[in-house]
Amino acid sequence: MSVAWQFYISTVLVYLGVDVMACWGLNLQFGVAGLVNFAFIIFQAAGAYTAAVLTLGPATKGGFQQYLGGAHWPFPLPILAAGVVGGLLAVLVGSFAIRRLRRDYEAMVMLVVSLIATSIATNQVGLVNGPNGLALVPKPLATMVNLTPIGYQWLFVGITAVICLCVYWLVHIVTSSPLGRTLRAIRDNEQAAAALGKNVTGLRMLAFVLGGVIAGVSGAILVEFISAWSPGSWLYPETFVYFTAVIVGGSGNNLGVMVGALLVPVAFLEATRFVPQFGPPGFIDALQWIIVGVLALVFLWFWPRGVIPERRRRFPPTAQSEARQPLPSTRTGR
Amino acid sequence: MSESAGALLAVRDLHRQFGGVHAVSGASFEVPPGRITGLIGPNGAGKSTVLNVIAGALRPTTGKISYRGQDITGLPSYQVARRGITRTFQNSSEFAALTVLENLLVAAPSQRGEALWQAALGKRYWRPYEREMVERARQLLARFEMSAKEDEYAGNLSGGQKRLLELMRGLMAGPALLLLDEPMAGVNPSLARRIEQHLLDLLGEGLTMLMIEHELAVVERLCDPVIVMAQGRVISQGTMAEVRADREVLDAYLIG
Repeated sequence: MSVAWQFYISTVLVYLGVDVMACWGLNLQFGVAGLVNFAFIIFQAAGAYTAAVLTLGPATKGGFQQYLGGAHWPFPLPILAAGVVGGLLAVLVGSFAIRRLRRDYEAMVMLVVSLIATSIATNQVGLVNGPNGLALVPKPLATMVNLTPIGYQWLFVGITAVICLCVYWLVHIVTSSPLGRTLRAIRDNEQAAAALGKNVTGLRMLAFVLGGVIAGVSGAILVEFISAWSPGSWLYPETFVYFTAVIVGGSGNNLGVMVGALLVPVAFLEATRFVPQFGPPGFIDALQWIIVGVLALVFLWFWPRGVIPERRRRFPPTAQSEARQPLPSTRTGR
Repeated sequence: MSESAGALLAVRDLHRQFGGVHAVSGASFEVPPGRITGLIGPNGAGKSTVLNVIAGALRPTTGKISYRGQDITGLPSYQVARRGITRTFQNSSEFAALTVLENLLVAAPSQRGEALWQAALGKRYWRPYEREMVERARQLLARFEMSAKEDEYAGNLSGGQKRLLELMRGLMAGPALLLLDEPMAGVNPSLARRIEQHLLDLLGEGLTMLMIEHELAVVERLCDPVIVMAQGRVISQGTMAEVRADREVLDAYLIG
C-alpha cells in the first residue's frame, strides 16, 4: 500500500474511533436514558480544549495564541483530564437542565447551552484563543518514540483503539446490567420508575455525566491527532451528525451505534470527498448537511429503530420454572 | 383527629391547591392494615390528588402524612416507594420498549447491579440475585396467567393485559401498602372480575391496599372501610352500608 493511502486510511481509522466513542456516549444519554442532549458537541469541545491547553504548555505573553490554564502534562494525563472536564461540565449543565424540566424543554435548554458555549468561546479571546482557536498542539509521545511519520500514524491508531476498548467496556457494563435496564425504564416512563423507588434525577444525571466523560475523551483524542481546535469545529449542527448516526445505527444498541458511526460521519462524509467538485464553492459541504438531515428524517419515518435495533432481552429458563410449568396455556403469543 | 395506634397510614388535614383551585381542602383519614380501604367520590372530588400526594408525586400545600408512625410528608416518590408504598397508575404506565419480564425486574427493590460500581463488578456479582428475581417474576406471571407474554414488549400488550402488568409490577416491588388508582378502569367485565379475584387473594395474604374505584358494587364487595370524598373534603367514612345511609353522600353523588 502506498504511503499516501496508508496516511489516508490511518487518518480515517482515528476519526472512526473518535466518532464511535462519541456515538457510544451519546447513545448512553439519548438511546438508553432518553436524554435529548442537543448540547452533546460542547462536551467533546471541552475535552478537546482541555487536552490542548494541557499539552501546549503555558501561554506566552504576547504569543500568537492566548488561553487559560496551559501546562505540559505528559500523555495520557491530558486525555484523562479531558474526561474529567467533560464529566464536570455535565454536572454543571445537568444541574439546571435535567432537573424538573419536561423533556421537550430539556432539549431546548441543551440547544441554547450549545449556542451560548460557542458564543463564549468565540468572544472571550483570553479563554481558548477566541475564533482562531488553538493550533500547533504537540502530538503525544512524538518526541519520545522514534518513528517515521507513517509509523506514528499507526501508533496513534493503536492508542485510539485501546481507548475505544476502555470506553466500550464502560458503556457495556452499564447497558448490559440492571443499571441499564433501569435507565431504559426511566426513558420509557419517568413517573412509573420513580414510583418503583428509582432515583430518577440521580440516575439520569449519572448517564449524563458518563456521556460527558466519554465525549470529553473523544474530543481529546481528536485534538491530539489533528493538533488544532477552534469554535468552527464544534458548531451545534455537529451534534446532529452524531444524533443521525445513533438513529441510523440503532438507538439503544452499542453495536448498531458503532455501525451508525461508521455509516454517517465516516463513510458518508468521506465518500463526498471523492465526488467531483461541482456547483458554487462550498456547495458540496452545504449538501452534506442537507443530506445528513434528510437521512435522519427518513430513518425516523421508516426505520425508527435503526439498522441494528435495540436487542430484545430474553432470560434463560430458571430451574424451578421448568419444574412447575404453569398450566398449558391456550393463549396465542410468544 | 387523633391517630389510632393500629393505622398503617394516616392522612391528617391535607390541603392541596393548584393555583387558585383547591383540589383537596382538609382531607383526614386512616388506612388500617390488612384491609382494602376504598376511596370513592364523584369526578373532581380530589381522590387522585390525595393518592398522588401520598405517593410523593405531589407535595401537599399543608397537612401531614404519616406511615408506620413516621412523617413522610413531602418526600419524593422514590423515597416513599422505598419505604414500602407502591402505587399503580390510572393510565397504563408500562415501560413500553422493555419486555413484560423486564418490566417486572425493574420493580425488584434494592437490586444488585443497579449502582455503577456494582455493574462494574460484572455479571458474576449480580447474576445470582437476578436469577432469583427472574424466578419471582415468573411466579407472578404464572399467577396472573401472563406467562405466554413474558418476552413480549409491554407496549404491544392489550389494554387489559397492561392493567395486569401494572398490578404485577406493583406486587414485584414487594409493597407493604399498595395504592391502586382505578385498577379496573377500561377493562372488559370478565377481566375486571379476574382482577377483583386477584385483589381478594392478595387481601387474603394480608396485603394492605388503598383503592380508588368508581364501580360501587366492586367497592361494596372488596372495601372496608370506605372513604367518601366530594369537593376536596372527606364527607363520610365507615363501612359501605354506613356511608350509603349517609344523606350527604347521596347528595354529593346526585349533585356531583
